[in-house]
Amino acid sequence: MAETRRKAILISPESCIGCRGCQTACKAWNQLPGQKTGDPANFQNPPDLAPTAFNLIRYIEMPGDAGQLRWLFVSRRCMHCGDAGCMKICTAPGALSRTKEGAVVYDQDKCIGCKLCSASCPFDVPRFDGRDKVVKCHQCHDRTAEGFLPACAKTCPTGAIRFGDRGELIATAKKAGYEKLYGETDLEGLGTLYAFRETPKTYGMIENPAVPESVVFWHRVLKPLSVIGTGAAVALSLIHYIAVPPKRDEEVKRDD
Amino acid sequence: MTNHWLDLKNAKVLLIEGSNCAENHSMSMKWIMKAKENGAVIIHVDPRFTRTSKVADIYACIRPGTDIAFLNAIINHILGNRLYDEAFVKLHTNALYLLRKDFRFDGGLFSGYVEADLKYDNASWGYQLDPRTRKPLKAQGLDDPDCVFSRLKDFYKRYTFKVGSDISGVPQETIRKIADTLVKNRPGTILYALGMTQHTTGVQNIRSFGILQMLLGNMGKPGTGINALRGEPNVQGSTDFALLFNVLPGYLAYPNHNEPTLKDWSKGSGTFRAKFMVNLLKAWFGDAAIAGNDFGYAWLPKKNGKKNYSIFRIFESALEGRMKMLYVMGQNPMVTNPNLGLVQEALGKLDTLVVADLFMTETAAFWEKPGTDPKSINTEVIFLPAASFLEKEGTITNSGRLVQWRYTMIPPTGESKSDLDMIDLIFRRVRDLYADSKAEKDQVFKRVVWNYPKRNAYEAVLMEINGTNLRTGEPIKGIAELQADGSTSSGCWIYAGVFKEGKNLSKRRNNKLDPSGLGMYQEFAWSWPGNMKILYNRASCDAQGRPFDKKNAVIWWDEAEKKWAGHDTPDVLNPAEGPDKPSGQRPFRMTGEGVARLIAAPYKDPDPNIADLFRDASSVPADGPIPEFYEPVESPTGNILHPKVAVNPCVKYPRIKSGQPVGTVKDYPYVLCTSSIAEHWCSGSMTRNISWQNEMVPESYVEISGQLAGKLGVSNGQRVRVWSARGEVVVPAMVTKRMRTLDVNGTEVFVVWMPYNWGFKGLSQAASTNLITIDAGDPNTWIQETKACLVNMAKAEGR
Repeated sequence: MAETRRKAILISPESCIGCRGCQTACKAWNQLPGQKTGDPANFQNPPDLAPTAFNLIRYIEMPGDAGQLRWLFVSRRCMHCGDAGCMKICTAPGALSRTKEGAVVYDQDKCIGCKLCSASCPFDVPRFDGRDKVVKCHQCHDRTAEGFLPACAKTCPTGAIRFGDRGELIATAKKAGYEKLYGETDLEGLGTLYAFRETPKTYGMIENPAVPESVVFWHRVLKPLSVIGTGAAVALSLIHYIAVPPKRDEEVKRDD
Repeated sequence: MTNHWLDLKNAKVLLIEGSNCAENHSMSMKWIMKAKENGAVIIHVDPRFTRTSKVADIYACIRPGTDIAFLNAIINHILGNRLYDEAFVKLHTNALYLLRKDFRFDGGLFSGYVEADLKYDNASWGYQLDPRTRKPLKAQGLDDPDCVFSRLKDFYKRYTFKVGSDISGVPQETIRKIADTLVKNRPGTILYALGMTQHTTGVQNIRSFGILQMLLGNMGKPGTGINALRGEPNVQGSTDFALLFNVLPGYLAYPNHNEPTLKDWSKGSGTFRAKFMVNLLKAWFGDAAIAGNDFGYAWLPKKNGKKNYSIFRIFESALEGRMKMLYVMGQNPMVTNPNLGLVQEALGKLDTLVVADLFMTETAAFWEKPGTDPKSINTEVIFLPAASFLEKEGTITNSGRLVQWRYTMIPPTGESKSDLDMIDLIFRRVRDLYADSKAEKDQVFKRVVWNYPKRNAYEAVLMEINGTNLRTGEPIKGIAELQADGSTSSGCWIYAGVFKEGKNLSKRRNNKLDPSGLGMYQEFAWSWPGNMKILYNRASCDAQGRPFDKKNAVIWWDEAEKKWAGHDTPDVLNPAEGPDKPSGQRPFRMTGEGVARLIAAPYKDPDPNIADLFRDASSVPADGPIPEFYEPVESPTGNILHPKVAVNPCVKYPRIKSGQPVGTVKDYPYVLCTSSIAEHWCSGSMTRNISWQNEMVPESYVEISGQLAGKLGVSNGQRVRVWSARGEVVVPAMVTKRMRTLDVNGTEVFVVWMPYNWGFKGLSQAASTNLITIDAGDPNTWIQETKACLVNMAKAEGR
């Protein structure tokens, strides 16, 4: 990818105050309805990404120094991977594409609802609406194309969510003392970067994210066949069987 | 705020106490995090580990209602170890002033206590005065036993770290660490909100902040001050314009029954403020207001000076059958008032209730509350649909006194109208109804100037607030232009100058010009008074007018130009009068003394021009000149300092015989603290009707520690019954590590917390927390003690 033009979102959990202005701003811009959430006794609501929730703050409690409590707030959303598993596996031409800013966006009219993108995402991001069409964070490409900030970054009071030139964001974070950013090089660079003081695991993120081998196999070998159009349905069901991993991502389980 | 939002970034330490600013003033964090990035230390003192505590470097878990014990221990440490800013204290406070020899504090009471009235006669708290000039006598040094500083030191001696810790539950070493951090890092600022004020010692809590900051020299400079974080929808603006019963616009005292003439009023308020009263009367009564008729002062209704007209008394008067009609706008007391059972009963005693709001609120629908038989209520309720903030224009004043114009985005929906349109229509109708009356009492409707144009009505009101030079017809340029002879008008003297030279300065949006780099942005909107960003900024300079901190200078005396100059409007009476003039040495010019008051002595500054009147009087809290610790009205423990005077001796509670029971620790062993959350605002009448907000926090709950949950046999999410002497609610329990068990006076105290934002209307409905809170009030402000009361809890049956 041409790094010069690529934009990204930089998330700094140390600066996040967990106000969830980002969640509301996302819903307001994307006109997503509020969902009924059941459990008022949990801070994290909605509990996970949903067709109506493109981003959310994850609340992680842990013991801190000297008997003190430590509370981490981590914004979760689509990572807009440079090497995007979802795009690799997608069989519907144009359903998933990359903007010139680097965001992975979707076209619901072209989505066939096979859900392979969900299975091939190392971060368990894509969700499907009532018509089984893919939905997720699209980095507010309809705003950024016009020179506006994504809704979440615009509303964030502390700069915990910043949007900008990817290279510049990395340089700024390094200046602020972060040696290596999460997503700096993983998967050919993520479009959602994280400034972590400690291991990604501390913040509930998987170490060394990778696209499942089966997806890579599909991309290299089987996808070209299906595009030819012969036995596409057979190929699809085969691929679904191969590609959907038997276990879900461990990061999702952590919040239960 | 003495300072302003952007200025928070200039602090090296931020003490956040009684505020959960990350959740309830999230935008403050923009500047707080900038300070943190620059190495500032954040201290958070709160009964609960909140989203604010998450970003704090030091967190102290405190028992609700014990802030004075905690702060006094810090102050005592500073006094006892000479850690104060001696130059600042000597120059800019009353430290050297001599107090009367009969001033005493003994057994929890200051001298002059009148038990029958629950009041103080505060004469003995005053200064020794020069018999000729009536000015206070001053000591040579801080060690004079009669000077304010010595008496202060004596008073604070009782507050050791151990005493502070035993009462507050904050470990001694944490108090010491916080004290040392405040001393070592200057400039330092303090942020607070309702967590400090909603107590029966609310005013004294803030006085503690004042004393602490004066001792540290943290006032008038960038990154210092005492900063009240006020409610977003114009709480600052509405208090500026007489939201409270005891003030007129610009904090002029509301006239009492025993002040029939303007001169009588001036005897209580001083000649300095009398000038602004004349300007207010000219703004309201126009040509009808002349010197010969006291500028129409007599036409103002007078209140009974002995009575309390606070929100509590509104409902209690209704209950007593002495209030017939209530008009509620911008408020939802059926959710936000404490002891809600009493409020509902009171509303049912009214003949007529008018509610103007965006949604059918719990107040408007009080007769629909579950369990109520509407047939038993005879109150006629009139609901007026109100326009939202997006559907009207006008100014909003933020906590930093910044007055900003907001524009109409969309026209009002349906039949809704803006508040101004509603009031305008009602006033004109009432005036028409009195048009033929010959009775003198009704003439006021004809005399008052009320002809706002249909178009730009809001700007016409702001113009009236700014005022006019009646000789030239030009808008008033600033406070200094206002005259006491009726030749000028101003509807709110502190806003004089917002319409300078006919330009509405609240519309300015220059966000580039900040030559100081301190975040002053002098041409972005306009701050009262006189576009001043940092109040008391004269205190940032020494006696010669040189900044104490040259690097962060805000103002200074420019000897060459012979004027006060700088990056801010200098807080001096006359910018051309330098340090060699008396007015050049009054950094706290709104007090009679002209300096800050470590001990709040009653003092009236003689007016050199008018023999029998004084210029200005210093405000004295009703409940003492120095903050003393008293337990909340409902407390889990005795007062270890003075067991016989456990509670603030000026608090009268219960005020009425029925409906205000007080619980004891035997029946109600847990301390309840209440507040708001980021996701819902205040009574929730707006936010509980937004599904996005309800998704994040779907209903009310009670936050409890794991230990208490274990004791009650309750697990996370299970429903519990929470009840007090006044009522009960059933809500889910949120079991967290964020709530802790405190060690208070050697015993275990469990604190629980609930948000107060719910009621029985709207898209998200839940029991109102205020059914169980206490409606005891601070004797100065009558604010409710919703931060500390006693409750009991049990697992809810069959749920």
